[in-house]
Formats: sequence, C-alpha cells, structure tokens
Amino acid sequence: MATIAYEPKRPNIATANVPLPAVRDYEQVDDEIAATLRPSKAWFALLLVAMGCLAIGIAAWMYQIQQGLGVAGYSPPVMWGVYIISFVFWVGIGHAGTLISAILYLFRAGFRTTIYRCAEAMTVFAVMTAGLFPIIHIGRPWKFFWLIPYPNWRLLWPQFKSPLVWDVFAISTYLTISTTFLFVGLIPDIAVLRDREKNPTRRAILAFLSFGWRNTEREWRHFARAYLFLAAVSTPLVLSVHSVVSFDFAMALTPGWHTTIFPPYFVAGAIFSGIGMVFTIIIPIRKWFRLQHYVTLNALDAAAKLALTTSLVVGCAYMVEFFIAWYGGVKAEQDYFWNRVFGQWWWAAWIMLTCNMILPLSLFSQKLRRNPAWLWILSIFINIGMWFERFVIVVPSLSHEFEPWQWTAYRPTWVDFAILLGSFGWFFMWFLLFIKQLPVIAIAEVKEIVPPRLRHAHAHTPDTADDFEPETPGAH
Amino acid sequence: MRGVLGHFKELDGAVEAIEELKTSRLGDVTVFTPTPRHEFEHAVQPPRSPVRMYMLFGGLAGCMFGYWIAIWSSNYWPLVVGGKAFGSWIPYTIFGFEVFVLVGALSTVAGLFIHARIPRLTMTVGYDPRFSHGDYGVWVECAPDKAASAEALLKKHGAVEVRGER
Repeated sequence: MATIAYEPKRPNIATANVPLPAVRDYEQVDDEIAATLRPSKAWFALLLVAMGCLAIGIAAWMYQIQQGLGVAGYSPPVMWGVYIISFVFWVGIGHAGTLISAILYLFRAGFRTTIYRCAEAMTVFAVMTAGLFPIIHIGRPWKFFWLIPYPNWRLLWPQFKSPLVWDVFAISTYLTISTTFLFVGLIPDIAVLRDREKNPTRRAILAFLSFGWRNTEREWRHFARAYLFLAAVSTPLVLSVHSVVSFDFAMALTPGWHTTIFPPYFVAGAIFSGIGMVFTIIIPIRKWFRLQHYVTLNALDAAAKLALTTSLVVGCAYMVEFFIAWYGGVKAEQDYFWNRVFGQWWWAAWIMLTCNMILPLSLFSQKLRRNPAWLWILSIFINIGMWFERFVIVVPSLSHEFEPWQWTAYRPTWVDFAILLGSFGWFFMWFLLFIKQLPVIAIAEVKEIVPPRLRHAHAHTPDTADDFEPETPGAH
Repeated sequence: MRGVLGHFKELDGAVEAIEELKTSRLGDVTVFTPTPRHEFEHAVQPPRSPVRMYMLFGGLAGCMFGYWIAIWSSNYWPLVVGGKAFGSWIPYTIFGFEVFVLVGALSTVAGLFIHARIPRLTMTVGYDPRFSHGDYGVWVECAPDKAASAEALLKKHGAVEVRGER
C-alpha cells in the first residue's frame, strides 16, 4: 500500500473554485480515505462502550417484557412517554442525511461532497434505531407484524385511516430508500477498496459487494442518472416522513397537538436536529482521522448556516404556537401553553428554548461558525434541546388535557432511561462498525472535485503545492 | 472479444485518443475512468440513459398499488370511522405517495443494474485495478489486422502502457 503522500500542517481554507486545496490527485484521495479503515485502540474502546450501553438497554427491555409496560413509568392518561419521544427524536436525526445527500445534491451545494456519506450512514442507523421504539412501546413486540398489511388467516387488515399505519409505511419506505441510496453510492467506492485489497477473503467479499463494478463510462452514465432520480424522489420523501410523524399528534384533538403548523415545524426541527448530530459525529472524525483538508472549515461553515436557518424556523414555530393559542381564544390551549412555559413543565420548555433558539444564535458569528470546538459543543446542546422539544410536545399535552382529572405528572423510570441509553449504544455501534469497513468520505465524488492530471495544464489550473491560507476568518 | 488496451495517466490524452478512435473507426471503444467526467461524455457521445423510464413506470405502478391496497382492504373489512367513507382517498394519498417512492426508487436501481450490466461475475478483459485508483483506460475492440493501428494511435496520445488482450 502506498504511503500517504501529503499531510497538511494545518487546516486550510477552501475557495469556491478550489474546494479542496490540499488534495492534489486521485491517488492521495484513495490513500488517505482508505487509511481511515485501519482500526485503532481508541476505536475498539469506543465500540466496547457502545456495546456496553446496548447491553444495558437490552437487559432493561427484557425486564420490561417480563414485568409488563408498567415498569416504564406510564401512568394514565400519560401513556406516551420516553419511547415515543425517542422515536420522534431518532426519526428527526435521520433527516439530515437524506437532506445533505439528496436535496443538497440537487441544488449542487458543493460543501455536501465530503460530509454526505457520514450523514447518509447516520440516517440509516438513526432510522433503524427509531424503528425499534414503537416496537418497544407496544409492550408485546411479537405482535408488531399486525401493522403490516398482508393476506392472513385472521382476514384482518390494518386501519388505513390511522396515522400509526401511515407511520409504518413512511418509516419503512424511508429506511428502504435511505439504505438503497447509501449502498448505491457506495458501489464505486467498494470497487476502489476491492482493487486495493491484498487479503483474498476480504477481496472476495468486496468483489461481491461491488457487483463487479469496472468504472466504465457506460456504468457511470447509468449510475449518474439513477443517482439523480433517487435524489429526486428522496427529496419529497424526506419532507413527507416527518410530516407523517407529526400527524401522529396533529390528528388528535389534544391541546398543543391539534394544529396545522406541525408538519413544517417537525420537518424543520428534524433537519435541525439531524445537522446537530452530523456535527457531533463529523467533527471528531475529521480530527481523529486527520481529514481537516477534506471536511474543510468552509464545509462546516456552510452546514452551520443551515443549522442556523433551521433553528430560526423552529424558533419561529415555537412563537407562532403561542400566538395561535392566544389568538385562537381556546381556554384549554391557553392553559396548556401557560403550563408548558411557566407551570409544571417550565424546566423542560426552557431547556428546549435555550438549546434550540438561544444558543444557535451564536452561529450568526462567522468566527464561531468556523470554530469546530464550538460547533461540537453546540451540537450536543442541540441534541439535548431537540430531545426535550419532543418531551415538551408529548408529555405536557397528555398531562394537561381538557378536564382536571386528566391533570397529572409523569416520571420516567430507570427502564426508560436504560432503553434510551441502549438506543445510543445501538446507533453508535453500527456507526463505528461502518466507519471501519467502508469509506466514511465518498471517494468517487471527492475525485470529481479534485483537478485531474493533464498533459497540457490549463492556465487556470490551481497550483496547490504548499500554499495554504490562514485559518483565521477574514485573513484570506 | 479481442482488442487493445491503452493505459493513460492524463485525462486530456485519453480524451484525444477517444476522439481520434471515433473518427478512425478502428473499433468499439470502452472507457475506464475512476470518476465520471464530462470530457468523456462529450468524446464518446453516448445515447441518453433509459433509467428514468424505470422510475416513471415503477413509480406509477407503485402509486396505483398504494391506493389500491388501502381502498380494497377498507372495503373488504369495512370500519366506519367518524362517519367517513370507507375508501377515503385523501389520507390514502400517503400510501399512494410512499409506495410510489418505494417502487419507483427500487425500479430505478433495477434499471441501473440492467443497463450498467451489473452484477458482473468476472471483470472480463480490458480491466485493470489502476482504473479505479487514478488512471484512465481506453479499450478498443478490434480485429487483429487493426490492432497495430490502434496501438500506434493510443501511444501517440500519451498512453503509458498499451497491450493486446483477448
């Protein structure tokens, strides 16, 4: 295996026509990205932690199956709790991947190129995680298949007017398409790994997974067309999935839920939380694998602007909800919103408002947008804030409905938290396994933005040998 | 299958070779490139990919199935909800849309596989692992009497390695 030809001394600042100034040629791309596949001690340690968290979650779930749903902290009328909150949270996390890979692909947003593979993988694993929660929530998971329409001896069919059945279709379609989109994009990159691989067993596996891809012009032509159409249908799919999830709430008459603002509000929130998780993952990867010259500050800056925009949309939705409650004049709605912010659930609402509305305003500063450490810290707050947003939507509504006998409290138990912890273990276990088996940055797409080698170099071909621009904003 | 394989380090050399091979009609040309390049598309001038038709027809079939399964099963097992019709097309648009996307996307992938001729069990002649790494390849499928001309042409445009294969 060739040694890494070039290693930059410091992160560089890309420009519009030279997106990756420190990447000289295709060989460097292959060598540096393939080098991320070598496992390290830190990787094994993280995998062990993730699997430990997963084991705790599985143990808690087994306990719940044995003892019944009563151990999960449900108390009537609050019969949706941490599981439904976490379901919506993980579906939301899964939105940024397809947004970055599909929507930004259609808009030709160059900054997506080096981060989309990570975001796509995150999407698949987040939706896999989300799909577990309704199964856990129903208490008898072995009955889950009743939601799937198929000819059966009971002669029963699902109720197609129920938003829960809409969810089953939306989530399973989203998981299938996200996985397909990820895998189709991976085929040429797997072929690169196949051609570099020396171990015959691994080579045979990679040859099987690459489907005998040969990099012919014919293959690329059909590939590009298929990828474009997959992106085109994934775009409305992204918007539809969280809209459908929001219908789980908006179709009910419960105060705080019965509102037409929910679909766009949920979609914006999902994209916001997804970008938060992208930062949580990509910033350590960028640092540990020394990929600062691929995931440039420009890419982080652009993604941070997207986070800021969606934060503003979400903040606007929060304010509009209060306005609707006041202007609508429905007493139950007004009481609910008062109780949400100044009453029983003030602490949850203010965590949500602080993390999702106030702290992201810092991204108006270019200096902070280009500061990976701050982006990572902020992303943790965004993740926390978005989990609490779903808490604020689910619990205060159910605990403060129309009549006083319905006004109650909700306390999650250790089982809820153990299963939530297990979901993080499940998600990160898959992600950690992914980054050591397959390229975390799309090799073929990065090569597209690297200048090709030419016999007759053009006058405008950038000379990127040693010339780096300073990291300080405004100095370049 | 018999022909000549030219191995290029530079993009413009490969493109010039393809352009001259097209005009000299020495044989069918297959291009290997580590990443899609518009320069090759202009040089080869291939027909438009029919993959989009798979999306159209697959998507329409899926959409119809999505509506059909919801309407048929609602009539088969009638449950009155809120005094509404058994087959309510507005909520069933969700099923029409989701299955449209599902079947359309999977059909597109099937179209990709069919037209790109994958999965492929062998790499056949004319492939070199360097073509996925960073180099370009031009495979000319030609009769033995034209092989020498093809080799000369490829070398003229900067091929670093030219070899006959069968």
